[in-house]
Amino acid sequence: MSIIQVENVTKIYKSGKGIFDISFSVDQGEVFGYLGPNGAGKTTTIRQLMGFTNVDQGRCLIRGMDTRLQAEEIQKFVGYIPGEIAFFNNMTGKQFLDFISQMRKQAKSRTAELVTRFELDVKPKISKMSKGMKQKVALTAAFMHDPEIYILDEPTSGLDPLMQKTFIELILEEKKRGKTILMSSHSFEEVERTSDRAGVIREGRLVALEDVNSLKAAQRKAFIVTVVSSGEVELLQNSNLEISRITGNQVEIIISSNYDEFIRVLTKCSVKGLDVLNQNLEQAFMKYYGREAEKNE
Amino acid sequence: MNKTLFKQTSKSNWIIGVIIFTVMMMYLSIIISMFDPENMEGIMAMLETMPQELMAAMGLTELGVTLTSFVVSYYYGFLVIMFPMIYSIIVANRLIAAHVERGSMAYLLATPNSRLEIVITQALFLILSITVLFLFVFLAGIIFSEILFPGHLEIGSFLLVNLITLLLFYAVSGISFFFSCLFNTTRKSLAFGAGVPVAFFVLDMLSNVRDQYSWIGNFSLFSLSDPLRIVEGDAVISISIVVPLLIALMTYTAGIIIFNRKDLPI
Repeated sequence: MSIIQVENVTKIYKSGKGIFDISFSVDQGEVFGYLGPNGAGKTTTIRQLMGFTNVDQGRCLIRGMDTRLQAEEIQKFVGYIPGEIAFFNNMTGKQFLDFISQMRKQAKSRTAELVTRFELDVKPKISKMSKGMKQKVALTAAFMHDPEIYILDEPTSGLDPLMQKTFIELILEEKKRGKTILMSSHSFEEVERTSDRAGVIREGRLVALEDVNSLKAAQRKAFIVTVVSSGEVELLQNSNLEISRITGNQVEIIISSNYDEFIRVLTKCSVKGLDVLNQNLEQAFMKYYGREAEKNE
Repeated sequence: MNKTLFKQTSKSNWIIGVIIFTVMMMYLSIIISMFDPENMEGIMAMLETMPQELMAAMGLTELGVTLTSFVVSYYYGFLVIMFPMIYSIIVANRLIAAHVERGSMAYLLATPNSRLEIVITQALFLILSITVLFLFVFLAGIIFSEILFPGHLEIGSFLLVNLITLLLFYAVSGISFFFSCLFNTTRKSLAFGAGVPVAFFVLDMLSNVRDQYSWIGNFSLFSLSDPLRIVEGDAVISISIVVPLLIALMTYTAGIIIFNRKDLPI
């Protein structure tokens, strides 16, 4: 059963940017990753789901209710993290969380549990907190009323790697408890570890809507192989591997699903170093982002 | 109306109200203490040493001879316009536009409260806080007068002047509130939310300078009520009641409807 439905939604801003004819749905108990680089339209879509903006065309439904017209009703069972961290002036973490609880007329609360889990100190003023600390306050505010549905806009931005791990564990737990989650991200690794399906958005258009495993097959990874001699560099060049750059004895090789072949070729060389190159989303999904990836080179 | 939000809004804005009220009290006490029933000529002579255009702009060409008309002409022509106007402009901007610009509006709307409920709560705060401000000014005026010149203040007409000025400020705050709802940035909200009331204020001052400029006053909201005429009982009170009320009704309603419908970049 579809919990979140986005049907042919178009929203164009004055600048000409926006989202164009986007359609996807998220089922009960599913984790949906919404992937795209900054400015692709992730937040624009999420604003529609939160009822902050009016669609030009199409409609968004959560549990069959119109997200713009019935936002008040929908918010009773939704937890939300905004893409940009923004709070109220002059409130401490505790004051803010209490205020949001009261605004929700929230009876049950697992605030204490979350605060311990995220190692969050709620006593200082939010304006004095670090970016990571603020994001933890936002996470707690979104999870504390134990909602049925989560809409999370780049939830891990600002978190250190350890906290990102804690967050991913929390998402997996919520998934086990049958919660429906839509999570935007510009990191495929994060989506890969949490999501069942993912949508890839590029310049306001959905370019892929697949389960995470088939997306993984499309992902390209870059490895930097350091070999001993120029003869071995030639050997690598003559193989079927895709080579993107050569600097001295360092060869940058792009792998998508041909790991087997990669290993076989490498056994013929004496390898002195092997590193994985960090790539952004556009580079990892050249298939969908052909043009932008080239621009970034 | 949402009580939790109302409490939070009061908490983050009361200090502005207190500052404005304190400054107003300072002037009010000075002005009342300047009144001297035996020697009005002395005060007149002192005022005549000031630049006449400046005094006229502040509406001080004719000073009443009773305590009531003295306070009303000296205080309600200029100071009681300026300070509540500053309050309206600052607070109206903070109530809506600042939340939208900062993004904290997203947190309010991510709770099960409708936009309508949130914007109406903020509007009510502005209306109620201005009412309280004028109530305090009114009470303080009575207290100061009774301490310094017992029995001199005509409370009935003093109340009427306060009521009519209060209505005027429902309109002024409505204008600022409207722009706060209309714009998504505090820069624009302040430019118009302050610009329009200040323009009315300047037009009112200009119209007082010389008789030949008095037609300018027709374009100013503040020229609708003439406090001294009200005290003396020869002003057309119905206009000073109906027009500000209509403007207040229109601006607050329009602001609320616009906010309820518009796209929010949060």
